[in-house]
Amino acid sequence: MSKTPLLEIEDLYARVADKEIIKGFNLTINEGEVHAIMGPNGAGKSTLSNVICGKPGYEITSGSIRFKGKDLTKMSAEDRAREGIFLCMQYPVEIPGVAVTTFLKHSINAVRKYHNLPELDTMEFVKMVREEGKKLGIDNEMIKRPVNVGFSGGEKKRLETLQMNILKPSFAILDEADSGLDVDALKVVAEGMNALRDGKRSMLIITHYQRLLEYVVPDFVHVYADGHIVKSGDKTLAAEIEKDGYAEYTRER
Amino acid sequence: MGGLVQKVKLFGEYIPWFQAMRDKGAITFDELGLPTPKTEAWKYTKLRDLNTDDLVIEPSNFLSEMRVTAEEACGCHHEDGGCGCHHHHGKGCCCGHHHEEGDCHCHEEGHVCECRQKLQVPFDAYVIHFEKGKMIPPFPDFPRGVEVMNLMEAVITEDAKEYLGKVADIKLHPFAALNNAYMEEGIYLCVHKNVKVDKPIVLINHTKSGEENIFFNIRNLIVLEQGAEAEFVEWYNYTGAVKSRYFANLVNEIVLGKNAKLSHYKLQDEAFKANHIALSVVKQKADSNYHNFCLQRGANIGRNEVKVLLNDENASAEVNAAYIMSGWATLDTTTDILHLSPRTYSSQLVKGVVGGEAKGVFQGKIHIAQDAVQTEGKQLHRALLLSDTAEIDVKPELEIFADDVKCSHGAASGELDENQLFYMQSRGIGREEAKQILIDAYLNEALAKVKNPEIRAWLSDYAHAPQE
Ligand SMILES: Nc1ncnc2c1ncn2[C@@H]1O[C@H](COP(=O)(O)OP(=O)(O)O)[C@@H](O)[C@H]1O
Ligand SMILES: [Mg+2]
Repeated sequence: MSKTPLLEIEDLYARVADKEIIKGFNLTINEGEVHAIMGPNGAGKSTLSNVICGKPGYEITSGSIRFKGKDLTKMSAEDRAREGIFLCMQYPVEIPGVAVTTFLKHSINAVRKYHNLPELDTMEFVKMVREEGKKLGIDNEMIKRPVNVGFSGGEKKRLETLQMNILKPSFAILDEADSGLDVDALKVVAEGMNALRDGKRSMLIITHYQRLLEYVVPDFVHVYADGHIVKSGDKTLAAEIEKDGYAEYTRER
Repeated sequence: MGGLVQKVKLFGEYIPWFQAMRDKGAITFDELGLPTPKTEAWKYTKLRDLNTDDLVIEPSNFLSEMRVTAEEACGCHHEDGGCGCHHHHGKGCCCGHHHEEGDCHCHEEGHVCECRQKLQVPFDAYVIHFEKGKMIPPFPDFPRGVEVMNLMEAVITEDAKEYLGKVADIKLHPFAALNNAYMEEGIYLCVHKNVKVDKPIVLINHTKSGEENIFFNIRNLIVLEQGAEAEFVEWYNYTGAVKSRYFANLVNEIVLGKNAKLSHYKLQDEAFKANHIALSVVKQKADSNYHNFCLQRGANIGRNEVKVLLNDENASAEVNAAYIMSGWATLDTTTDILHLSPRTYSSQLVKGVVGGEAKGVFQGKIHIAQDAVQTEGKQLHRALLLSDTAEIDVKPELEIFADDVKCSHGAASGELDENQLFYMQSRGIGREEAKQILIDAYLNEALAKVKNPEIRAWLSDYAHAPQE
C-alpha cells in the first residue's frame, strides 16, 4: 500500500523572539498515522506546533513545511485551519465576553464557507454541539459560558476536544492534551481523540509523559530535544523514556 | 453671513420671560466665547475643526407656512400620519422630504413614505420625528398623564416656564448659552404623578442636507413628576449627506421628582463630517433614579456631556456609555456627577473602541459634597486602541468633601490580544472577523448595562467595529 504524505517538514529552522528554537527538524506524517513527539520541557515542542499553525511572531529562517502538497508557510493561520489543521492548545486562551456557542458557530461556519458549504442553521448547529458535547461530558451550561473563562484544566481540554470533534480536521496537533487532567478526564479526552481516528486522519501528539499514549496508541514515537528529532521508534520508545527519562538525549547541551 | 452667531427671526419674541432667556443666552455666549484648549472642560476636544464660518441657520418653521399640523399637511392620509405630498398640496411631504415630481408614492394604498420606514425603531414606541433640528408633525397619541408638546407650545401655555432654562447653567456651558439664544425647537415632555409610560418615547432627528451646512439647536425639557416612570430615546442620524458638515447643538433639561425613574438612551450616529455637541443636565429629587446610556459612533467632533445633580437623599444615577470610531473623529464623553445629599449613589461604565487616527476623550467627575455622607460613587473607563495612531485622553476627577463615602474610579486602555486573535484564527475564523468578535465582546460589557432588552439589541446593532 503506497502511503500519501500529509505533512512534510524538511530541515526546518525557526526562531521566536530572536531565539533559534527549531534547528534542523525533519518529519513526514502520512495519512492515517499517529505520531507522538516526546521531549523535555523547553525543548521547543509548543514552538513547533505554533510554527506549523502559523502563529504570528514565529519566523521560519529556512526549510519547508508542506501540507497536502501545499506550501503551508505562505498561508494565513486561519487558512491553515480551514485546510484541516487543528491545534489542541497546551494553554487554551480565555476570551471574556464571547460565549462558547458564539465562538463555535463562527468557527464551524468560517471553515464551511471556505469549502463552499452553506452555513449551518441554528438548529443544525445546536444539535451537533449537543451531540458532540454529550460524549465529552459538556453540558448546556458550559457552552453558554465565555470561552475558557474560569474553566478548570479539565474543562479547557474537553472544550479543545469538542472543537476538534466538531471541525473534524484531517490533521490534529495535540499539545500536552493530557496536562492537568485526572485519569477520568484523560479517558474522556482520549476517547475524543480516538473517535477521530479513521485510517485517514492523522495526529501529532505532543507530550512529555507516556500516560496519554496508553490510551491513544501511536504508530511512531519521536524523541525531540534541542530543536530536532534525536531518536525515532515505535510505542516501546515511549515506555523506555518513561523509565529512563530524557537525560540521555539532552546531556550534550 | 454664516457662523454660530447670526441674526435670525424666531418665534415667540413677544413673550418677555422667554425672549429674556434667549437674550441672556446670546450675551453669555458672547462673553464666554468658544472654548479654547485652555478651557479646562474642553482640554482634550479641540474645536478648531468645528468650521463654523459657512454654517447656515434655516428660517423658523413657526414663522413660515411650513409648520402645519398633520391634518393640514395631508388630506389624503393613510395610516401612520400619511404623506403630505407636495404635488397635491404645494407643501413639503410631512416625512420631511421634498420629493421630486413623480417621486412620491405616498398616495399608493398602505404606503408609508420610504424615508420614514428607515427611521423606524425596531421596537414598539412613541416616535417623534425631527428633520435637521425641526419637529415634523404629527405627534403620536400619548396616553393619559403623558403630556408632550413642541417646546414653543409649552412656552405659550407656560407649562415650560417653571423649569426651562433653570436646570442647565449656561454660565458653565458656552454651547448651552448658544442653545439658549436660538431656543425654539424641541419637545416638552411631562409625565404626571405616578404615571408609568407604557412604551419608550423616541425622538429621531434625521439630517439630510445638501450643499449647505446647517446649524441647528434642539432644547428638550423633560419633567417626571413624583413616582412617574418613562423611557426616553434620542436617535441622531443622517442619510446621504456623508460629507455634510452640519452642526447639531443640543441641550436636554431633565427634572426627576421624588421616586421618579427615567431611562434615557441615546444613539449618536451623525454624518462623519458633522459636529454634535450635546449636554444633558439632570436634577434629581429623593429616591429617584436616572438610568442613562449613550452610544456614540458618528460625527467629526461628537461630545456627549451628562451632568447629574443628586439633590436629595437616596437619589441614584447610572451613567453608562460606549463609543466606537475610526477616521479622524474625536468622540468625547464627559460626565459630572454631583452628590449633594447623604446616601446618594452613582455608577459609570464607559467603554470605547478607537481606530484610525481618531481620538477618544473621557472626562469623568464625581463630586461629593461635605454633607453627602454614606454616598457611593464609582466610575470605570476602558478603551481599546485598534491602531498606533489612535489616541485616548482620560481625565477622571474625584472631589470628595465628605467622610464615610465609598468612591472608586479606574481607567485602562489596551490593544486587541494577539493570543486571543490567534486562538480564533487557529479555529478557522478570519483575522478581521476575529477582531470584530473581540470588539463586540468588549463593547457588550457596557451595552449589558442597558436595562431595556429591545433597546439593548437595537443599540448593539450599531456597536460594531468601524470600517478602517
Ligand atoms: N513567544 C516566545 N517568546 C520568547 N521565547 C519563547 C516564546 N515561545 C517559546 N519561547 C522559548 O522557546 C523555548 C521552547 O519553548 P516551548 O516551545 O514552549 O517548549 P516546550 O513546549 O517544549 O516546553 C523556551 O526556551 C521558551 O522560553
Ligand atoms: Mg509546550
